Amino acid sequence: MGLKRNVGLIEGLRYQGKGPMLTYILHRIGGLAIVIFVAVHILSSYFGGNIGIFFNTFYMHWAFQIFIFFCALFHAINGLRIVILDLWPKLIEHQREAIWVEWAVFLPIYAIAVFVIARTALGG
Amino acid sequence: MQITIKIFRYNPEKDKKPRYESYKLEAVETDRVLDLLEKVKGYQDGTLSFRRSCAHGICGSDAMRINGFNRLACKTLVRDTGAKITVEPILGLKVIKDLIVDMEPFFENFRSVIPYFVNDEPEPAQERLQSPEQRERFDDTTKCILCACCTTSCPSFWANEQYLGPAAIVNAHRFIFDSRDRAAAERLKILNDIFGIHRCHTIFNCTLACPREIQVTKAIGEVKKAIVTGSLE
Ligand code: HEM
Ligand code: HEM
Ligand code: SF4
Ligand code: SF4
Ligand code: FES
Repeated sequence: MGLKRNVGLIEGLRYQGKGPMLTYILHRIGGLAIVIFVAVHILSSYFGGNIGIFFNTFYMHWAFQIFIFFCALFHAINGLRIVILDLWPKLIEHQREAIWVEWAVFLPIYAIAVFVIARTALGG
Repeated sequence: MQITIKIFRYNPEKDKKPRYESYKLEAVETDRVLDLLEKVKGYQDGTLSFRRSCAHGICGSDAMRINGFNRLACKTLVRDTGAKITVEPILGLKVIKDLIVDMEPFFENFRSVIPYFVNDEPEPAQERLQSPEQRERFDDTTKCILCACCTTSCPSFWANEQYLGPAAIVNAHRFIFDSRDRAAAERLKILNDIFGIHRCHTIFNCTLACPREIQVTKAIGEVKKAIVTGSLE
């Protein structure tokens, strides 16, 4: 009788949660990416040799740096927004504005970083 | 204008799997999605099942996913949905038939937070007085109609239905911050459980979904802070 609980990853991602839900998803992706990134980073330095060189080359590639910098910076700034709202619940009324501010802080810093990484990569 | 409404259908006596069925009908901009459902049920397909009672945004029975977002069908105008509408049951509960879900896990969570007034002190000769400011403190959370739009929009609730969920916390907040009530400490203890308030990751889906425009995540934040600081102010 009746269907099971009607929710899974796909149904969840279909939910139109808009901006705030997007930051939540990016925060998980960023957090997980940093954990994997740092683990591989440390293990490859530990084992060294060809594997170490392979991963270091990979990590130093500009495309990877642009990706991981997105993860780390977004996670950090979004994390600070969450911490600030947790400490001062009164501000939660302005959560929409908080997310605008967050993007306003994130985008210029990220743009400058992408510019510097790209220039270094292209200019050698 | 001509409307196409695509509805999630599931009849446990016939269907192995849910399916979607589309209906075309005439509507005006000021029709509500609930009106369209009534028209489909009345004129096109009498087997369509959904809950509704007041039709005025007060009883909280017709929460559903409309174009992928939780709303009350009786408060959603065609003007705001456009001519293509998809209607599905709210997420994270068992579908009984079509748009009707089993609300019991939701109400079980609600009941577990002592959602009623507790004060065993001897009754005063007149009312238990409260200043306007003291009343204002929990005004927002008195507006809840237990529609479940919030709880069933919450990814933490999707992940585990034992998570008390925003609606239960809103109703706990209603009494925790009532100066006349005496059970705040007990409620905070219940909420400080592993399936309690700490499963809230400030995603804000609940706040966006609430048809009563309650600042749900703010209420949750205030309760979180009360648990951490041990103080109600
Ligand atoms: C694009 C970004 C990054 C690049 C290109 C990079 C590059 C490097 C390099 C070349 C080393 C030295 C490895 C060695 O000598 O074997 C190193 C060490 C290290 N990095 Fe990074 N890094 C980056 C980002 C990060 C981030 C975001 C974290 C932490 C959140 C981190 C944590 C560490 C740690 C813990 C070590 C020491 C590990 C060890 O020596 O075993 N790095 N990194
Ligand atoms: C500036 C530094 C950082 C800040 C401000 C920060 C902040 C936060 C906050 C506030 C949360 C909780 C979010 C929530 O409850 O919704 C969180 C979650 C998380 N963080 Fe960070 N973080 C930082 C660095 C890192 C680093 C270096 C890693 C990885 C080694 C990491 C991995 C994670 C993971 C995996 C989660 C997800 C936990 C979950 O799913 O509940 N974070 N972070
Ligand atoms: S703010 Fe908390 S309760 Fe509301 S949707 Fe997000 S996790 Fe769920
Ligand atoms: S808080 Fe809002 S969305 Fe949640 S049950 Fe109450 S009225 Fe519905
Ligand atoms: S029918 Fe009562 S709230 Fe919509």
